[in-house]
Amino acid sequence: MFNNLIFIILFMLGFYALVMKTNLIKNVIGLNLMEAAVFFWVISFSDIGGEVSIHKLGEEVTKFNDPVPQALTLTGIVIGASTAALLLTLIMELNKFSGTIDRDQLEELND
Amino acid sequence: MSWMNIELILLIALPALIAVIMYFSAGYNQRARNSLAVAGAGVELYLVFSLFLLNFEAVKNSNFFLQYTIGYTESPFVINFAMDNLSLLFSLIVTGAVFLIVLFSTKYIRNQENSYFALFFLVLASIQGSILTADLFTLYLFIEAITIFTTPLISFNKTKETTRAAMQYLFYGITGGVFFFISIILIYFNLGTLKMAAVAQSFALISTPMQLTIIIFFLLALIIKLGIFPIHFWLPRAHSACPAPISALLSGVLLKVYLYIFMRLFWTMIAFDFLVELHLSTFVLDLALVSSLIGHVFALQADELKKMLAYSSIGHIGMILAVLMLNTEAAFYGALLHIIAHLMMKSGLFLSSGYLLKTTLSHHIDDLKGIGHKNRLLFIAFIIICLGTIGMPPLIGFVSKWFVLLAFLEARHYFGAFVVGAGSIIALIYYLRYISQAYQSVKMETKTLREELISFKSFFKNSNMMKNVIYIFTLLIIFFGLAFRVLEMPINTAIFELLNPQKYIELVLGG
Repeated sequence: MFNNLIFIILFMLGFYALVMKTNLIKNVIGLNLMEAAVFFWVISFSDIGGEVSIHKLGEEVTKFNDPVPQALTLTGIVIGASTAALLLTLIMELNKFSGTIDRDQLEELND
Repeated sequence: MSWMNIELILLIALPALIAVIMYFSAGYNQRARNSLAVAGAGVELYLVFSLFLLNFEAVKNSNFFLQYTIGYTESPFVINFAMDNLSLLFSLIVTGAVFLIVLFSTKYIRNQENSYFALFFLVLASIQGSILTADLFTLYLFIEAITIFTTPLISFNKTKETTRAAMQYLFYGITGGVFFFISIILIYFNLGTLKMAAVAQSFALISTPMQLTIIIFFLLALIIKLGIFPIHFWLPRAHSACPAPISALLSGVLLKVYLYIFMRLFWTMIAFDFLVELHLSTFVLDLALVSSLIGHVFALQADELKKMLAYSSIGHIGMILAVLMLNTEAAFYGALLHIIAHLMMKSGLFLSSGYLLKTTLSHHIDDLKGIGHKNRLLFIAFIIICLGTIGMPPLIGFVSKWFVLLAFLEARHYFGAFVVGAGSIIALIYYLRYISQAYQSVKMETKTLREELISFKSFFKNSNMMKNVIYIFTLLIIFFGLAFRVLEMPINTAIFELLNPQKYIELVLGG
């Protein structure tokens, strides 16, 4: 299926950036890409072509989109944004202390 | 809805409220801050203890159960908190340890910043939440909250080392969180519910490859969070970088909370038979044993006190996870007893390492020379806790290791028994390295008996809170080592929950 394929490509791309890249900011981007892939996948699966699940007075809606995955995704996005902000702050601090944002160089400086 | 059910919410809401007050009262003086912190942790401890004592008969007959639901009870998606004997046991030990750690940190954290206690109480609220919650998504939220709130605490002393450790901790923690999220979503798409009890009822309906995927992602997430062997690099750095009370919180308390979540997921929610059927339990067992051995071996080469303690934590957690995987009653008894023992011992060791840092330059092994002569009684307490961790007879560490060993022998798993023994011997070597260094003095000051007595008297006069907390931990270790049968009743009722998940499922869905 198309959305499965895109999920796997995006997730693997993010995982590659998280594991293989040495630039810390690229790692953060990779992590966010992984999260975005999962959210995209969830939303694409929960969309069955129905109405928005808001109860309107006087209208009979027969086909709903499931609101629970949307709620989960929204919460996940909030968590993702806050962790990204926290990570970028820590990387900025690290850059102040050691003058580099390269993972391997940091490792060498440490030992 | 009785008062006790509302107490469940109060257990989570109270620390969160205190955290907010702490954060917005930045201008207040240190004494007010400290008394608020101690009062908050004390009330929390009182609430949990009163739950235990008021329901003593119910706990004893293992039919203790409380739950509180937020939202319409008819809808399948409600926020649901439940407490059974297992959660009560963990809530008790966690709150007790946190109370002592708060007492310690009132004196340890000197600067005017109130963000320390604000974050500390937020972590406490998330811990209570993840222990009490009965549905998966709230669990995910609380786990992520724990990771996010502990990160600024790790980088509390802003240096290069701590910032780097905090960054690495957050990277690994969030990756684990993403795996957890995938698993939850797969469960939702397959079963249409997020209540743990409802998932437990119909987990067998999912197709086998999907079951395997769900279980593997859960395992990956928890292995990252627990710091089991292939993904353990972040743990020693994170646990040694932070201030001592936070090390005690992370290593002593938080790892046990993740173990609790492991039990909840794989015994209550997903029946353990699925892990056995998919041949994952033996794999995790071997992985945990290797992790245990590697943790102990790496502790040998650690030249810094806190790093050594953190590596030793990896060793102990690996052992507990391995013995849980045996899935017998003896194994649960050993594991739960060792969880309690390790909670007390590791918190005590990290706190005393924090106190020792006040009298030395750093935690490096060369700087610890002669430290045993400087503060005698405290170092004797340190040695007693060390002996407990190694597993010397009158102490709690011996009792718990003995039961773990018996569980391994009963299951005829001799490699496990070997790892327990070898771990103890390696632990003896690396603790002795530090202890002998501490008593290696350049110049011996000899005191007469009279001077000794005077110093003993002055100890009672100006004894401070930090020392007292460490002595309390030492006394607890000795007391429970002699009277470990006190713990038998709560542990046995917790084992009852693990062996009969049906009770929890029926009560959650029925109420």
